[in-house]
Amino acid sequence: MSLDFDTAGMLGDSARRYADDHYSLAQRHAVLADPAGYSAGAWRAYAELGWLALRLPEEHGGMDADPLVVGALMEVVGSRLLMEPVLASAIVGTELLLQQASAAQHDEYLPRLADGSLKLAFADAEPGDGASPCTVREGRLTGTKIAVLHGDLADRLVVSAVDGGRGGETRLYLVAPASSGVAATRFRLVDGRGAANFRFAAASVEPLGAGRAGSAAATIADVRDRATVASCAEARGIVRMLVAASCDYLKIRKQFGRAIGTNQALQHRAVEMFLLQEEIAALTLAAQRALALPPRERARVISGAKAYICGAARTVANEAVQMHGGVGVTDELDVSHYFRRLMVNAALFGNRDEHFARFLGEATARGETA
Amino acid sequence: MNEQTSEARERAQALRSAIRRFYDEVFPSDLKLKSKHHQVLDKADYVQWMRLLNDQGWAIGHWPREYGGQAWSLLERFAFEDQFARLGCPWIIPFGVKYVGPVIYSFGSSAQKARFLPRIATTEDFWAQGYSEPGAGSDLAALRTEAIRVHTSEGDHYVVNGQKVWTTYAQWADWMFCLVKTTRDAQAQKAISFLLVDMKSPGVTVKPIPTMDGYRHVNEVWLDNVRVPVENLVGAEGEGWTYAKFLLKNERTAGAIVGMAWHALDRLKGLAREHSAVSPGRLQARIGELELRFLALEETAYQAVEAMMRGTDHGAEASLIKLRGTELYQDIAEAAIDTLGFAGIAYDPADVHAGAHPPLGPADAGGIIKDHLYNRAATIFGGASEIQRNIVAKGVLGL
Repeated sequence: MSLDFDTAGMLGDSARRYADDHYSLAQRHAVLADPAGYSAGAWRAYAELGWLALRLPEEHGGMDADPLVVGALMEVVGSRLLMEPVLASAIVGTELLLQQASAAQHDEYLPRLADGSLKLAFADAEPGDGASPCTVREGRLTGTKIAVLHGDLADRLVVSAVDGGRGGETRLYLVAPASSGVAATRFRLVDGRGAANFRFAAASVEPLGAGRAGSAAATIADVRDRATVASCAEARGIVRMLVAASCDYLKIRKQFGRAIGTNQALQHRAVEMFLLQEEIAALTLAAQRALALPPRERARVISGAKAYICGAARTVANEAVQMHGGVGVTDELDVSHYFRRLMVNAALFGNRDEHFARFLGEATARGETA
Repeated sequence: MNEQTSEARERAQALRSAIRRFYDEVFPSDLKLKSKHHQVLDKADYVQWMRLLNDQGWAIGHWPREYGGQAWSLLERFAFEDQFARLGCPWIIPFGVKYVGPVIYSFGSSAQKARFLPRIATTEDFWAQGYSEPGAGSDLAALRTEAIRVHTSEGDHYVVNGQKVWTTYAQWADWMFCLVKTTRDAQAQKAISFLLVDMKSPGVTVKPIPTMDGYRHVNEVWLDNVRVPVENLVGAEGEGWTYAKFLLKNERTAGAIVGMAWHALDRLKGLAREHSAVSPGRLQARIGELELRFLALEETAYQAVEAMMRGTDHGAEASLIKLRGTELYQDIAEAAIDTLGFAGIAYDPADVHAGAHPPLGPADAGGIIKDHLYNRAATIFGGASEIQRNIVAKGVLGL
């Protein structure tokens, strides 16, 4: 697969410029304090900038962006800690619709995704005990979903559920969270973004791709991989900021009459952070390329990248906090916000353990995972 | 082992038994539940807790008998801190009983002893520590808060100006012990004095510094022309650095971090049984490695305390225990977060209060996340890991 480096570069530059002008740390603190959990104004701006149509085909006014271009945007989502549902809606939700919705559904929903009036969240994970699996019978959904990223603010949920009328095949359904039979528990994640658990009791659903023989399970697997690759790019953006901030701090913070960065012990630790940053960048690109590889190799590279990046990014975040000293644990400084975003980044779309098992080629039982 | 150590061991074991009995029979159930779930305690909780300890004679058990203490050996002090931490009990607030109390009975005037010591023992006065400043963290001697002595007809007083930072629970404090500079002439350490500041004095402003767990543990304290009577100077002017070093020596037992690590490891094992987002085989291996490190920590700590009692210590044992203990504790917390899966990222500070239940996972999930976040500071406060390593390099290895 040939990747579009030019477009990725331009999109990344434009996204950084937008964030410079409109998403400073102070502006982000205001978003964090807003019960809405995101900035509606920023979301409209993303639509105008074309970010929400990134994955749409050109006939729907989209960019048909490849994984590198998606990664360029996700890097900025990470480096500027954007709170809006870019990953959940513009990448994951959109991809599910692209692959599974009918042509009529495309005509209905894709323009609304592009203009930002429709925000999607993917409700996939279920409680580990398997006590209430999501099942659809006679057009009604029953069951429980947990930890739905941006489930608090989504206009529609894309819900994976067993189609009781079709011999237990998994399919995807659109559900309006405000409709009857849907009970939501909304909560905040540690990084301040919203999420929700859902209990469905005979909720009405709209099947994606009505009448089409389903390959929803394959789509879900593919989209999970795409989300994983996007999350690697997000982590790369975060890690670059943490390494840069730590190196700056080592130069300006003075103790015992000199910059703390003149201590060789700290220099070597900073170099180690930089090495991790470079490995994370290389593995992110490898994972982006791997989306075009045959299944087994694709799984090995993508999950290997994610497993390594989980550990490497955590090390960088821990070191960044430590090197900043007391200010590193304050809510005021961005370092602790990057630390918290990485916690979420490492837990969604498969945690380190699950990806490590997949890297090793172990059969994985999906319990409480998404 | 000599007789003295042997007897101290028996007494320490007896203290541990008494603490377990206290936990079962006396420790109130609401505090037990809050601390078990790592929920947020307010000032009233802490005051109640410290008074319960004092009722048993334990809050100041390490003080000499003439000031109401029990003249505990280092082993008993260690057992006291370790055992309560193992039980997951609240933090034993050190600023009064452990830090400033011993400075006052060792270096204070008889008037200061009479005025402050009884109220420290009973936590009638809540104390804070005014050490760090924005430009003086690891390099504490670089502090800049000034106390200028002024003569008036009504007697002398100091006028204090400066800023302290990372002041734990300053928002609750009645008093703050402070390191200040009383002269601009002397070299850094000879200029430092130890001053007791009434937090109700005009010119004292406390501003919270929210930490990444969403709480207000620490503060900035601004001192703007604060008038402090000269009788609140402890010991002699210019000797504050000596008292500060004495105070630090009182941190040497460091039993709490050993007990905290034990408690966190015990909880991790429970999590692994009831709620694991990690494959059992790998999780067991990871817990096994942590247990092995705990064994090394525990043995090193016990033997360090006995070496201190025998006088065969190298002087930097506290640094070793703090380094290994805090790093192990943080790694256990990370393993707990991983084990919790989604429940390890669902966090709202509002969920970490009595009666609240987190949206996912066990009742203490929010408390486990809170502790994980806040304890990233454990390798920073009380002498950062980098400083502890410097202490060992200089003091023990002669580098």
